[in-house]
Amino acid sequence: MKAIEVENLQKSFGDFHAVQGASFEAEAGEVLSLLGPNGAGKSTTISMLSGLLAPTGGDACIMGHSVIRDPESAKRSLGVVPQDIALYPDLSARENLVFWGKMYGLRGAELKSRVDAVLDVIGLTDRQKDHVGKFSGGMKRRVNIGAALLHKPDVVIMDEPTVGIDPQSRRHILDNVRELNQKGMTVLYTTHYMEEAAELSHHIAIMDKGRIIAYGTHDELIRMVGEQTRIDLTLNTEAEKILDAWRATQGVAKIDVIDGKVTALVDDSNRVLPRLFEVASKANVRITSVDIQEPNLETVFLHLTGRALRD
Amino acid sequence: MKILDIAFKDLTRSFRSAFAIGMMVIAPLMLTGLIYFAFGGMSGGDVSMTAIKVGVVNADQLSADSVLDAPIGEDIRSMFFDDSVKSWIAATDFKDEATARAAVNKQEIGVAVIIPQNFTEQYLSGEKDTPVVIVSDPTLSIGPAVVEDMVTMMVDGVAGGGIALQTILERQQANGIEPDRAQIPSWIQRYGDWYREFQRDLFHHPEKAALIVAAPSAGESETADPIQKMMGLTMAGQMIFFAFFTGAYSMMSILREDEEGTLARLFTTPTDRTSILTGKFVAVFITVILQGLVLMVAGHYAFGINWGGPAEVALALLGQVIAATGLGVLLIAFVKNTRQGGPVLGGGLTGLGMLGGLFTANMPNAMPAAMNMIANFTPQGWVLKSWRMVMDGQSAGELLVPFLVLAAMGIVMFAVGSFMFRKRFA
Repeated sequence: MKAIEVENLQKSFGDFHAVQGASFEAEAGEVLSLLGPNGAGKSTTISMLSGLLAPTGGDACIMGHSVIRDPESAKRSLGVVPQDIALYPDLSARENLVFWGKMYGLRGAELKSRVDAVLDVIGLTDRQKDHVGKFSGGMKRRVNIGAALLHKPDVVIMDEPTVGIDPQSRRHILDNVRELNQKGMTVLYTTHYMEEAAELSHHIAIMDKGRIIAYGTHDELIRMVGEQTRIDLTLNTEAEKILDAWRATQGVAKIDVIDGKVTALVDDSNRVLPRLFEVASKANVRITSVDIQEPNLETVFLHLTGRALRD
Repeated sequence: MKILDIAFKDLTRSFRSAFAIGMMVIAPLMLTGLIYFAFGGMSGGDVSMTAIKVGVVNADQLSADSVLDAPIGEDIRSMFFDDSVKSWIAATDFKDEATARAAVNKQEIGVAVIIPQNFTEQYLSGEKDTPVVIVSDPTLSIGPAVVEDMVTMMVDGVAGGGIALQTILERQQANGIEPDRAQIPSWIQRYGDWYREFQRDLFHHPEKAALIVAAPSAGESETADPIQKMMGLTMAGQMIFFAFFTGAYSMMSILREDEEGTLARLFTTPTDRTSILTGKFVAVFITVILQGLVLMVAGHYAFGINWGGPAEVALALLGQVIAATGLGVLLIAFVKNTRQGGPVLGGGLTGLGMLGGLFTANMPNAMPAAMNMIANFTPQGWVLKSWRMVMDGQSAGELLVPFLVLAAMGIVMFAVGSFMFRKRFA
C-alpha cells in the first residue's frame, strides 16, 4: 500500500513558483528522504502534505486520504515534527504531550498510557514534570518528536530535525527514526545532509528549485552518475585561467568552481588526473591540493545541477 | 472538547505568567489602593474611609456695639458640623488654641481650625488677610488640604463680603447718604445667600463637592459614604481599563503561538481553525470574568466598595467581558507580532480608556460635553456607564440598553477580528 502519494503538486506565491509539479511516493513502512539544498521547496512540499498550506495544483494522499478533499483524515494518519521546536516552554514535558495528544483526539486512559509510553521512548520519564523551557536543546528535540508520535500515526513527517544540534543529539534522533521505521511507521524525512539521507532511506527524492529532479534508491541514484568520480582541486591562482582548457580535457564530464575550489566529475580518476596536471603545468598553474571522492549523493546532485548540495 | 482543551492550556499559561497576573490583578488593585490611601487610609479594619478629624476653636466674639446677631466665625465653625459633611469630617469643638494644638501634636485630630477673637471685627472692617489659623499634623496631606480649601473658600467669601460691605458704606457716604447700620445684617444675609449660590454653581460648596465625589444614588441611604462611592467608581475605572488590557493581552497568545511555531503545529493536527480561535476566545472570556470577579471581591473587602445587586453586577460584568474580549480580538488582528503588540495595546487601550472616561470616572460633570459625547463611541465608555448605573442602584431592566450596546459592539468587533484572523492564517 502507498503511504504517501504525491502527484504533480504545485504551490505558487504570486509569481514565485515554490513547488513546480512535484511527484513521488512512499510505500507503507519505508523511509523516504527528500533531499535538496535550502530553498529547494522541501519545506513547502511537506507544509502542503501536513495541511499547513493549500496546494495551488496537483494533489497528495496520506494513507489514501487526499490532503485537499479529506484533510481531517489525512491529518489523523500523520504526525508532523517541525524543524523548529514547537512546544509550550511554560508547560511541563508531560503537559505538552497531554495537550498534543488531546489535539489528536486521545482521551482518558488511552491518553495517559500513550503519554507514558512516549515519555519512555524519548527517555524523559524522570524529567516529565519539568518545564520544557528549562530543557537542553537535545531534550527539547526529543519532546518535539514525541509530540508527533502520541497517536501512533501511520506516517511521520520530519522536517530537517537535525539542523543546528550537537552530534550526540543528532545520532539519537537518527536512531529514533530507524526505531520508528522498524515499528512499521512510514517516515518522510527532509534534509540537506546527504549522509543522513544515505543512512536512513529506502528511497530518496532529490529536489531542486521546486522540482523533483531524481528519485530512487541510494544505489539507483549513484548509478545515474555512472563510474564518475569527483575530484576537488585547489590552485595557486584564479581557476578561470585554466578552466576552459580542463573542460576540453578528455575524460572530464563536468567541471566548475564551487566554494573557491575546482570541482570536476571525471570518468576515471587514475587516467584523467595526470592529464589535468599536465594541462596545469603547461599553463603554469600549480595544483596545491587534490581530493578524490567516490560517487555519492553529493556527486549526483552536482551531476544533475552543476551545483553543490550545500549551495 | 478541543475548544476547552485549548482554552485550558491558554489559561494555565496565563496564570503561570507573572506579568499577566501583575497586569490582570495586582496593577489595578495597587492603583486603586494608592488612591485609597491618598484619601485617608484604612481605619483599623473598618471598611469605610477614615473621616478627617478636625478640631475647631471658635474664639470669635461680637463687640458690644455690633449690629450682627451672631459672630461670623460661627458660620465657619458650623460648616464643619454640617450634616452634609458628617460622613467625611469628624469635627470637635476645642475651648482654646493651646488645647487644639496639643490635640494635633498627640495626633488626636488631624487638623485644628482656629478662628480668632476679633474675626468678625476684621471682617466688617474689610481687612484682606485672613486671621483664621490652620494647624495640621505634618504626616497628613489630603485631610489638611481639604480643610484648608474649605476654610479658604469660606474666608474668601467672608473677605469678599467685607469688601462689598465697605464699598457700600463708602459709596453711600460719598453720595452724601448716611449709612443705615441697622441694614447691615440683611446685606450680609443677602451677600451670604448669593455667595452660597455662586459656590454651588462652581461646585465649590463643600456639600456640592461631596456630591461631585459621588452623587447620592436613588434608593440608597442618605448616609452612604461618598468616599466609598468615589472608590467604587475609581475601582470600576481601573477594573474596566485592565479588563480591556487583559482581553487584548490574552488574545495576543495567538501571535505568541505563531512565533513559537505551536500555531503551525496546531494546524497540522485534526483540529479545525474555528475551534482553535474559539478556544482562544473562551480562554480570554474566562480570564476577563475571573479578573473582574477577583477585583470586585478584593475591592469590596479592601475598600468597602458596594458594587450593587447580583443581577445588575452580573449584567454589567458580562457586558464588560463581551466588549473587552471583542476589542481584544479586533486589536490583535491588526498587530503583526508580539513586539508590535506592546505599544499598540498600551497606546490604543490607554487612548480609548481616556476617551471612554475611565480616568475621570469621578468627575463626569467637570469634563467638556464633547468628551462625554465621545465616550459614547467607545466600548469603555459604555462599560463605565453600566457600572455607574449599577452603583447608582438602577435595575437590571434599566441596564439592558448599555448591555445590548456592549453586546452588539463586542459581537461586531469579534466578527471583524475573526474574519481578519482567518484570512491571515488561511
